[in-house]
Amino acid sequence: MLQRVLTKSNKSDLYLDLIELASGLLLVGFLWTHMLFVSTILISPEMFNTLSEFLDTYYLSYFAIPFIVVVALLHFVIAGRRIPTRIQEQRIVWQHAKMLNHFDTWTWVFQAITGMAILVLAAIHVWLVVTGWPINAMNSADRMEAFWWFYLVLLFVGEYHAGFGIYRQFVKWGMFPRKPIGYVAKLITVVIIVLGLAAMVAFVRLGGGA
Amino acid sequence: MSNYQTHITDMLIVGAGLAGERIAVEAASQGLNVIILSLVPPRRSHSTAAQGGMQASLGNCAMGEGDSTDVHFADTVKGSDWGCEQDVARAFVENAPLAVREMAVWGVPWSRVVAGKRTLPDGRELEEKKEKEGLITARDFGGTAKWRTCYTADGTGHTLQYTMDSMVVQMGITVHDRTEAISLIHDGDKCIGVVARCLRTGDLRVYIAKSTVMCTGGYGRLYSASTNAVINEGNGMFVALNTGVVPLGNMEAVQFHPTGMVPVWILITEGARGDGGYLLDKNLYRFMPDYEPKKKELASRDVVSRRMTQHIRKGHGVDSPYGPHLWLDIRHLGANHINTNLREIANIAKNFAGVDPVKDLIPVRPTQHYSMGGVRTNKDGHAYGLKGLFACGEAACWDLHGFNRLGGNSLAETITAGRIIGKKVTEYTLGATLSYSYEQVNNAVKEQENRVKALVNGWNGKEDVYNLRNEMEKSLMDYVGIFRNGPDLQKAVDNLREVYHRSLNIGLKSGGEGPSPELAQALRLPGMIRLALCISYGALTRTESRGSHAREDYPKRDDANWLKRTLAYWPEGADLPELKYEPVTITELPPGDRGYGESSAQPEGGGKKNG
Amino acid sequence: MADRQLTFEIFRYNPLKPEVAPYMQTYKLAETTGMTIFVALNMIREEQDPSLMFDFVCRAAICGSCAMVINGRPRLACKTLTNTLPAKIKLFPLPVFKLVGDLAVDTGTWFRYLSEKTESWVHTSKVPDPKVQEERMDNAVANQIYEAERCIECGCCIAGCATANIRDEFLGAAGINRVARFMVDPRDERSPGEYFEIVGSEEGAFGCMGLMACDDNCPMELPLQMQLAFVRRKMAAYGLGYKEKKRIKP
Repeated sequence: MLQRVLTKSNKSDLYLDLIELASGLLLVGFLWTHMLFVSTILISPEMFNTLSEFLDTYYLSYFAIPFIVVVALLHFVIAGRRIPTRIQEQRIVWQHAKMLNHFDTWTWVFQAITGMAILVLAAIHVWLVVTGWPINAMNSADRMEAFWWFYLVLLFVGEYHAGFGIYRQFVKWGMFPRKPIGYVAKLITVVIIVLGLAAMVAFVRLGGGA
Repeated sequence: MSNYQTHITDMLIVGAGLAGERIAVEAASQGLNVIILSLVPPRRSHSTAAQGGMQASLGNCAMGEGDSTDVHFADTVKGSDWGCEQDVARAFVENAPLAVREMAVWGVPWSRVVAGKRTLPDGRELEEKKEKEGLITARDFGGTAKWRTCYTADGTGHTLQYTMDSMVVQMGITVHDRTEAISLIHDGDKCIGVVARCLRTGDLRVYIAKSTVMCTGGYGRLYSASTNAVINEGNGMFVALNTGVVPLGNMEAVQFHPTGMVPVWILITEGARGDGGYLLDKNLYRFMPDYEPKKKELASRDVVSRRMTQHIRKGHGVDSPYGPHLWLDIRHLGANHINTNLREIANIAKNFAGVDPVKDLIPVRPTQHYSMGGVRTNKDGHAYGLKGLFACGEAACWDLHGFNRLGGNSLAETITAGRIIGKKVTEYTLGATLSYSYEQVNNAVKEQENRVKALVNGWNGKEDVYNLRNEMEKSLMDYVGIFRNGPDLQKAVDNLREVYHRSLNIGLKSGGEGPSPELAQALRLPGMIRLALCISYGALTRTESRGSHAREDYPKRDDANWLKRTLAYWPEGADLPELKYEPVTITELPPGDRGYGESSAQPEGGGKKNG
Repeated sequence: MADRQLTFEIFRYNPLKPEVAPYMQTYKLAETTGMTIFVALNMIREEQDPSLMFDFVCRAAICGSCAMVINGRPRLACKTLTNTLPAKIKLFPLPVFKLVGDLAVDTGTWFRYLSEKTESWVHTSKVPDPKVQEERMDNAVANQIYEAERCIECGCCIAGCATANIRDEFLGAAGINRVARFMVDPRDERSPGEYFEIVGSEEGAFGCMGLMACDDNCPMELPLQMQLAFVRRKMAAYGLGYKEKKRIKP
């Protein structure tokens, strides 16, 4: 009780919630842009190379990659505060989700799980990219050919997390009913996943043809 | 088990509905310690079910112009068929507008006047004035000369109760919910509290107070078809009756609401007719104007219920597995109106009867709804027979309603009487001292303990509580309904007497441990049957028709012999109430024509005159 | 439909007899037309097992007493028709609330605490003087207040909320909606700062994770998503120092 009284009446909960929102939006924005950039391979490998060289030449990559890593870690810590840490609580949530069998509750449970997964998967991805510098179509194609199964998982997990994440933020803050927001979020997610899959196929073909 | 918790306080209120909480607020604001006992959390009280509204002659809306306390008074007295106490009715109508305004400050979102012209469903045009905009508006209800029923959409009881309870919370008033008062502690002269049973643990408790106020609502659940909540079993009334010294007034006056929905008997508010709904028969013919050319669907409830029953008896009812019924038609009010002002009704119709009132008709039949009778009190709410015992609201026969209550006057009674009686109980309590003997209290608890033991162990017999309850309900339903007659009432009395004797031999089927629902029912049932006997015996003895008490063998009101109130006592060891009578207080309006109903000077259905 | 045989599996536990572990008890019942869970449970109690505990009051879906978990969903038992359910019906008491016994839970104590914590009354410096004409209010405002006030405190939103299931202090949709009711009421003189004290934390507006089981399970169909988002935005605006235009008090 003493500590509750002493720590009460500040705005930390608000700020945490805002950081969760801002970092989430930023990451979704990044991820979707990233996927669009990756999809340039569908137009031509030259297009892809031009874009990555442009980002490299102007040092955008050197700035953006560490920044996104920091934001992602921040997002993990802040949004992760929602995840029950005690085993008893985890059991309750699992039991609750099973009993209720409610769509949005299940999607949230998987949101927490995918969040954890992304932390590991994305770290590996960044490590792979950075150690195989620079980014160009051939490098990526080699990587994709070797690790396509890894990227397939990362694509679905990442897009799932981003799609439902942004939907939930709109639900929590928004002025719109959630049903239409849900449709839009799902639509965008599907489009991105299709683009991602197509890009993967293109990379694998490119790698195979080399 | 002779350990019991004891609570001592200034004022003990039994029942946390609107009347009880209003009194608690009054007492607490004057510094008294108050404990409220309630079967359920206060916000689940049956007061919340009152949908339509409460009458108060504010006269803000166009159709309420020219309204005054005098008009409200006359409507109330006529509605009661001159059975009410006119000094009480006068105090009530004067205080009702004040009570409404007070509730507005405390937080009730009363519906307000919106300026402009509009057309009513029957084609009448009206214009709400700009200078009245934003003031509390009103709707039409049965038996009123003006539009006087203030409301919040169709959740008036709900918003009143939530606001009143917010005051109780704000003032930090103690509420013991899930607690049932099962007997009064008294010495034949003065009441000093109650023995109660905790419905969480089953333990007995003692509450001792300078004043005890019964605000336990009505007894609708004596009837199997009632609009009432399942907790309305007349607890406060039989607990008072059981003392042998406190009489119940006018128990034969039972109100049937015209529109209980078939077959679940959930109330469809009078507001549905007030806002322009029609009653139709099996040929979809609107029959009420034939019977009541002036007030049509909006005559008083006793009259409309009888006209509906008459019409069904003529063979115009719609047949159903639950007996014949009629239709309520509100389709012409439009989806917009139905889904805002009558939304709860639309929901109820959809959920429980599977009909959408925007497109469909609602099956209705008159259904037990309200008890005009109750613990007889004087105009200060002080019960006859015991000092320190008070009653208020539906549990009481303060006698505002006489033999028929007007729609919108019950909700109004709860907070208006709560206001008036609250002041009087507070005054009494401030001047009272508390003294009691340990032995008296201990004996009172022992008596209840022994009852419990006898039931649990089956010492007196093995009668099944639910069977007996069904038989009691059936006797009342079959023989003490809307139209009554001597032979039927005699049958009811005979059956009920027999059931009463059997109820003294109840034995539980379950172990009766803890908060056993079977034990709770078994403790109540003999008292409930006593109430049923007060109703039927009072009705058998009253050889006239007045208000809701309609005798086929005595169809006329008989002011020469029966302008008086029944007082039912239950002497120790009796199996029938002892009936006494007292005169009705008439201060302003001598008995006359109600302006509607069978005995009014207007054409009867089919055109023939009926004096 | 009318001649279906229904099988009820009902959670049994009496906290006063902790030596008997919780178990599921099975009852069979012939379905009747228009049968609700209210009708069914009463038939079971009267004909098969008088010790079965459950709560009903109004049986018309206006008092909020009879919420329970019916085949996994928190709903009002009185308005749940058996013909909308499969022949096997599983009943649990609401989670989160203290168990009284079997299907009965103590929502009263929980909601009284909620009212105290959110100070759910109109905070006004005005002393009522019923003799003078009431203050005017726009009818649209009255309707807006009523919209939030329609909550019947049944507890379905709390029971369905994952956060409320693991965080004792979380106000849940019922609590946040309650605060919204007073925020839109021009009679309440509380400042945004005072509201922030009540709901500007993870116990209130910022504790909601947006799972919306409240919104999907509310038997009164209150617009809970909108109310929760409204309070969250208001509180964020205050917390970030955005000064609202002074509210017009009519």
